[in-house]
Amino acid sequence: MKNALGREIPKTIGSRSVEPYAGAFAKKRSGLKAPQPQKSCVPGENKVLPSLEAAIEAAGLKSGMTISFHHSFREGDRVINQVVDACARMGLKDLRLLPTALFGTHAKLVDHIKAGVVSRIEGSMNGPVGAYISQGGKLREPATLRSHGGRWRAIESGDVEIDVAFIAASQADAYGNANGINGRTPCGPITFCIVDAQHAKKTVVVTNDLAPYPAYPLEIQQGWVDYVVVVDEVGDPAQIASGTLEMTKSPARLRIARLAADAVVASPYFREGLSFQGGAGGVSLAATMYLAEAMEKAKIVGGFVMGGGTRVMVEMLHKGLVRTILDGQAFDPIAVASLGKDPAHVIMNPGLYANYDSRGCATYMLDAAFLGATEVDLDFNVNVNTHSDGQLLHGIGGHQDVAAGAKMTVITAPSIRGRLPVILDRVTTVTTPGEVVDVIVTERGLAVNPKRGDLKECLLAAGLPVRDLAEIKAEADGLVRPLGKPVFGDEVIAAIEWRDGTVIDVVRKVEGWQ
Amino acid sequence: MADEIVVGSDAKGDCRISAAPAKVTAVEVTTGDPHLFERGIREVVDETLAKLGRVRADVAVADQGALDYVLAARVEAAVRLMSPGTGAQAPKAIVPETRRRPSEQDAPRRSRLYAPGNSPRILVGIELHGADCVLVDLEDSVPPAEKAAARVLVKHLLTAIDFPNEVWVRINPLSLGGADDVREVLLARPHGVALPKAESKDDILALAKELADAERAVGAPRGSTWIMPILETGKGVLHAEEIASADPRVVAVAFGAEDYTRDVGARRTPEALLFARSMIVAAAKAAGVQASDTVYANVDDETGLAAEAKLARDLGFDGKGAIHPAQVPALHAAFTPSEKEMEEARKIVAAAEEAEARGIGAIAIGGKMIDRPVLERAKRAIKLAERLGSRRASPVDGCDGREARR
Repeated sequence: MKNALGREIPKTIGSRSVEPYAGAFAKKRSGLKAPQPQKSCVPGENKVLPSLEAAIEAAGLKSGMTISFHHSFREGDRVINQVVDACARMGLKDLRLLPTALFGTHAKLVDHIKAGVVSRIEGSMNGPVGAYISQGGKLREPATLRSHGGRWRAIESGDVEIDVAFIAASQADAYGNANGINGRTPCGPITFCIVDAQHAKKTVVVTNDLAPYPAYPLEIQQGWVDYVVVVDEVGDPAQIASGTLEMTKSPARLRIARLAADAVVASPYFREGLSFQGGAGGVSLAATMYLAEAMEKAKIVGGFVMGGGTRVMVEMLHKGLVRTILDGQAFDPIAVASLGKDPAHVIMNPGLYANYDSRGCATYMLDAAFLGATEVDLDFNVNVNTHSDGQLLHGIGGHQDVAAGAKMTVITAPSIRGRLPVILDRVTTVTTPGEVVDVIVTERGLAVNPKRGDLKECLLAAGLPVRDLAEIKAEADGLVRPLGKPVFGDEVIAAIEWRDGTVIDVVRKVEGWQ
Repeated sequence: MADEIVVGSDAKGDCRISAAPAKVTAVEVTTGDPHLFERGIREVVDETLAKLGRVRADVAVADQGALDYVLAARVEAAVRLMSPGTGAQAPKAIVPETRRRPSEQDAPRRSRLYAPGNSPRILVGIELHGADCVLVDLEDSVPPAEKAAARVLVKHLLTAIDFPNEVWVRINPLSLGGADDVREVLLARPHGVALPKAESKDDILALAKELADAERAVGAPRGSTWIMPILETGKGVLHAEEIASADPRVVAVAFGAEDYTRDVGARRTPEALLFARSMIVAAAKAAGVQASDTVYANVDDETGLAAEAKLARDLGFDGKGAIHPAQVPALHAAFTPSEKEMEEARKIVAAAEEAEARGIGAIAIGGKMIDRPVLERAKRAIKLAERLGSRRASPVDGCDGREARR
């Protein structure tokens, strides 16, 4: 069957039946959330266990069950590997992993997949695990990729059930209160897995720094936690930045950043109280900086800035350019340090900022957002999941949630990367539909979604190089001969969920080349 | 292979081509993703070899994301540098089809953006930053061993890219390969050629002759390539007047402070450069051409750049060099007439028209007499503004209070 974007979607994917994507805000739900486990507790109970093995045993984890993790340590995470290694040593098989994201540091999971310890993954796969699956590595069921808000929604609604949640914390007390802000190796908020802790049948906090009661801030609370395990290492905070701290020096990328910021400045949203999402990565950082400069010059104070927290945002807060930072995950050590100190640097969670089935998302309060793309197409659809060779290499992150919410979603992407054109007739995979994308900025100019004639007028009036996306595409295509094209078979290796739980696209296995 | 020639590099956006004479031509390609890129790369290599005639060579391509024109340039350079097999002749240069937007003698040249002629990483997209002149360099930024390959790369760049404004090439001094530079790059019809270390009228005339020969060879109209002498020695500065007026091809005279300070033993302070700057401005204006100030070397110092651009503007320069695209907006801000200046200029021109209509010789505004040169300057400002206006819509404010999407 075809979904609303014309993408061919199977009726069932693995053991799940599929509801096709029908539009960014088509789905309406009401009713009750999935029940949360309940257990009474008496004074004096001890939650501290001597080892991960002991916790796995106590939690009753068996083969075929589901375990979940957060990714706040990013490339520096040490907990996922330790836990899965322990499961393997204990002879567990056929586990389903529900991480918020996987990174290069989790490459050894490939061995666990081969050995049958892990047989299913639902979560973003950045790097080697995604590459392995794309290249024919077998999972028992196709992977499911969800946005930050989508994952929260799926757990809360019972679409996916967690048996044991393992929560890495840079600090925790013996009663289970845990955070990522304090301790010897802080990584920033660990709030992504609040929903895991609330809904998992058992919740295990894993820390390297056991603090006196109460450990705070109370990101993860004692009432949700069954066991606490102290290990030598939970993660290396030096690696949370992984390439996101660097300001780009590339003239083309700086030009993209400049145009993106100029577009927001030219928009009606550039006024007192402006709120925006500034991500990590060279272009987003530079665009945020340019926007901050423009705000300073125009004497505008922003309402809030949202995102993975960065040094640039913290500087804006200190300069009085913005009243509040809403921070769901820290992208550099300066953001981590600020979180503990500054009350206007507010910790948030995906339930608050992105949950489709809730009574409000912080992203819906955004004026503008800068987001990246692996590919875009002439319908303004965006792909951040697969490469043009069909390989599944990246997660969705908050892309869908932010794009859907912001009044002005600005996609920044070069028109060509090396020999690889970025603007296509049809993206390899749709992550975010063109319906919620307003402007695409390339080094060759900006293209405005035809739906936004009002915005186009503003950008033209400001003298910005507004162009037809097809014209920019033709210019970039003219620089290189046509690429080889992957031929996809029928086999689905991953489902891409829209944030409401419908399927917006699937990733199929590459069977050949033309 | 003893006779192997290697051209290009392993830098991003470039490729490394190894070529050696062979009995049968064979092409080997390595690239990041062969499924996606190999076929296209082979097409470009094969077509380039075909254009070079009956070349027989072993060609190995190590691609780092090179665009088609970079690949073609690297292959052409490698094969032409390769010693021809016994009895064979070295292949001749590829003559590309090039379309160039016309330019005018006094086109706006507020910025001349330098880019090293042998660095695809920097050249790719150099046309996108709005510079009035892109000045692709074959001189100081290209090491001697890379000059031959750089010429070919610049030719292909100029052929492949439709520069929205002017594109110039800074050649080497004629005695140091400049004549070869001219012959190669003229095949792709740059708007002009910048001559470094110009010191005399004869330097300009010699270049004009090379240009005329090259223009004839490619069938271009005689005199269609501008010259921008760069004065960067004591002698050059002292001869500014004869250089600026040496030939109708000269449309602008540029100052090169780095070499100048070295040549005369000065430190780079505004005072130390004042004489040379003023000399160049006076000579250029006497000859009826533009003056372009030296580059500002510190890319990270925006305040310093703005101050120096303002100084140059105050001294009478029409533009200034840039070593990074990020410097271009500051130069345009400094050398574009302000709204106040424009208002003044329009008043002066209106007063002159009125005076003429009424048959009055003297022009006056509010009892203040307007001199002829002031009128000329006002006319120039209006013309510049008109040209810039036709290039792109002028920025205006507005768009407040419009309805949001949702």
